[in-house]
Amino acid sequence: MDFRGLLDEQTDIIDAEKRRTGAPVLGTLCSYVPVELLHSFGIVPVRIWGQADDMHHADGLLQSYICPPVRNLLAMGLEGRYDFLDGILHCYTCDATCGLYNVWVRNIEPRFSHMISLPYVDTDESRRYATAEFEVLIGKLESLTGDAFSTDSLAESISLYNAQRELMREVYELKAAGCPIEYADIYSMNVCSQVLPVGLVAAELREYLERTRKMTPGPDGRRILLSGSVVTDLPLLEFIESTGAAIVADDTCLGHRLLESRIPDGPPLESLVEYYLSRPPCASRADFPSRRRILEETLESHGIDAVIFVHQKFCDPHLSDHPFLKEALEARGVPSLQVELEGEGFTGQVRTRIEGFFEMLET
Amino acid sequence: MTEEKKTRKRLQANTALREIIAEFYADGHRAKAEGRPVGWIPPMNGLIELFYAMDVHPIFPENWAPLCAAMGTNAANFSFAERRGYSPDLCGYFRNNIGYALDGISEENQPLGGLPEPDFLISFGAGCVPTMKTFQVLCDRFDVPVLRADLPQVAMEDIREHHIEYGVTQMKRLIAFLEGLTGKKLDMDRLSQAVAYTDEACRIWDEIMETRRNVPAPFSAAEIGIMFVMVTRHGTRVAVDFLNDVLSEVRGKVERGEGVIPNERIRLFWDNIPLWYNMKLFNYFEKWDAVVVAETYTSAWTMRMDPEKPLESIAYKTLVSYPLVSCVSLNKRIELIRNAVRDYRIDGAVLHSNMSCKPISMGQMDIQRVLRDELDVPSVMFDGDHMDGGKFSMAQFQTRIDAFMEMLLARS
Repeated sequence: MDFRGLLDEQTDIIDAEKRRTGAPVLGTLCSYVPVELLHSFGIVPVRIWGQADDMHHADGLLQSYICPPVRNLLAMGLEGRYDFLDGILHCYTCDATCGLYNVWVRNIEPRFSHMISLPYVDTDESRRYATAEFEVLIGKLESLTGDAFSTDSLAESISLYNAQRELMREVYELKAAGCPIEYADIYSMNVCSQVLPVGLVAAELREYLERTRKMTPGPDGRRILLSGSVVTDLPLLEFIESTGAAIVADDTCLGHRLLESRIPDGPPLESLVEYYLSRPPCASRADFPSRRRILEETLESHGIDAVIFVHQKFCDPHLSDHPFLKEALEARGVPSLQVELEGEGFTGQVRTRIEGFFEMLET
Repeated sequence: MTEEKKTRKRLQANTALREIIAEFYADGHRAKAEGRPVGWIPPMNGLIELFYAMDVHPIFPENWAPLCAAMGTNAANFSFAERRGYSPDLCGYFRNNIGYALDGISEENQPLGGLPEPDFLISFGAGCVPTMKTFQVLCDRFDVPVLRADLPQVAMEDIREHHIEYGVTQMKRLIAFLEGLTGKKLDMDRLSQAVAYTDEACRIWDEIMETRRNVPAPFSAAEIGIMFVMVTRHGTRVAVDFLNDVLSEVRGKVERGEGVIPNERIRLFWDNIPLWYNMKLFNYFEKWDAVVVAETYTSAWTMRMDPEKPLESIAYKTLVSYPLVSCVSLNKRIELIRNAVRDYRIDGAVLHSNMSCKPISMGQMDIQRVLRDELDVPSVMFDGDHMDGGKFSMAQFQTRIDAFMEMLLARS
């Protein structure tokens, strides 16, 4: 089975896991939720992700100027697609997802819900605060599961997630080294890591890597960095690479940002805090200097020829950062394209813009 | 500003308010000229008491934006922002403030002489994303010292001791930063005094708002500009003295049974930020003998401060200022509306679905459901924007409101 096949079977896999362990399944809305903590309680964390049958099912609860992904996720919830969840967890990142969390809790009424707020700066005080914030979550998870928190169990969970992320990192490295890996596979791998049990994805990754390591690296086309928030349109990603380009790096909600550092050794809870606070920031994290620096470093380390920004309409964090990042790229002579998605997926208009961009690069 | 857009204000206190507004900005320019530091800071935070206790002049870009909207320079600032590549879908405060800071600042004829340039910036990870991003742009624009700090974004009902403790650590970082900048030690007695002024201002504010429970209400949302002192002059006597005068005036009206209009028949609740470029909307309801007697936005200062614990108080104030009026505490906000409907005898609610403010607008459909299903209060929602008149249609507003008001009158 490949990653895409696993995604098709997500519901059955989660059902089976739930029956096997009897543990709760909690939905998460953002990659800043400490999934390792949930796992240490036996809880299966499932990132709420996918495509609603009809995004307009959320129209009765969300205005049309809320970004398409948030409207889409709520529509999925209202369609009953996440009825298997025992609760929902969020970490404040962007305003729209915070609103989504609140509207979800009021209208879908999960039996468990909690939102944490992580600090934006990484100092001694902020680490102490983040630890306290995790401890509150621990208390709630203890009540939910009836189990006591165990640092040994957390250490085990951390090591599982570290191992999985290391394997995922290797896939990115192989791709960057010219292995003929489709970025669509990497995208599916990333989604799998968010929506399926950690051990299962690691097993699939090992098999995948065994096959991939044998591939002969070849010359790739234009080396693209993909930047954006929630990029869910597989056809769009496939189309970019169908032009002969290779997406060798990304800066998105699901991508390499989550893999860049490993959770350090040491006391498990403190190590977890360190990972979440020192991770490359997303556009909502109020640390723009780091974001710009990391972009510039990636351009260098990955030999990036061009950047494609895939933005969602009405996305405050990314639309606010875009002029800055574009300026940084222009200063280095790296061309970029911004496409703004309106919830209709990979439309003809988006396709034309990408085609036009690559034609422009040829001239 | 065209004549037809002028709000009909009825409180005498507006004369003093105009002076206070002019004086606040003039004081900023004086501070700059005299070498007293001017700091640009995020809105509605407890940082203001610290500033005044240390003789540092605060400038709030978010307070500047409504002035630009009222004076009509917002459109030019939006154009500057758009030319720099900022999407017109972004918050109007953000677009106005960065457009002004990047380009508008060098243009002539800015309201009240423009803003004095900052000597330092406080860039907080807290509040809403557009505010954070505004300061990101400002930090890049001005080559001045920056304090980067943050505060939890947590629902009011979930605030625990560790949130306050963390807030206090951030206040201490700010104090150290300001002490380094000014070369002066913070006098804790002065800070306690500033906190006492804020506490007094909040107390009087609640009393002023409560006078509107009377039928007829002594003033309407058209007078909402009085909150200028709550945003900019907390921590000072200016706010306390002004609010005391407002309180005397509105109490006098209550004693005389003097309402906003002669025959008040309908009492309205307003949700979300006003349309700063068109405050006359609040007078629009008067032709049906209707008055807006309560709002969500004016509840942001319903809190008390303890001068004995100044740091904890300003940390708390800063923590609650955002969730209190946004969707971070949707349940709290709904509770606030439930109480307002009861206490202010609300007949109908008008919800401004505000394209410039997602955190306040998200959850408005939930609010409508509560109004309809639990409280039997009819409501109407219209599309608008608190800064950008281009995203508001007066004709659509009138069509919706006219039908709504006729329905309310038929009910009454």
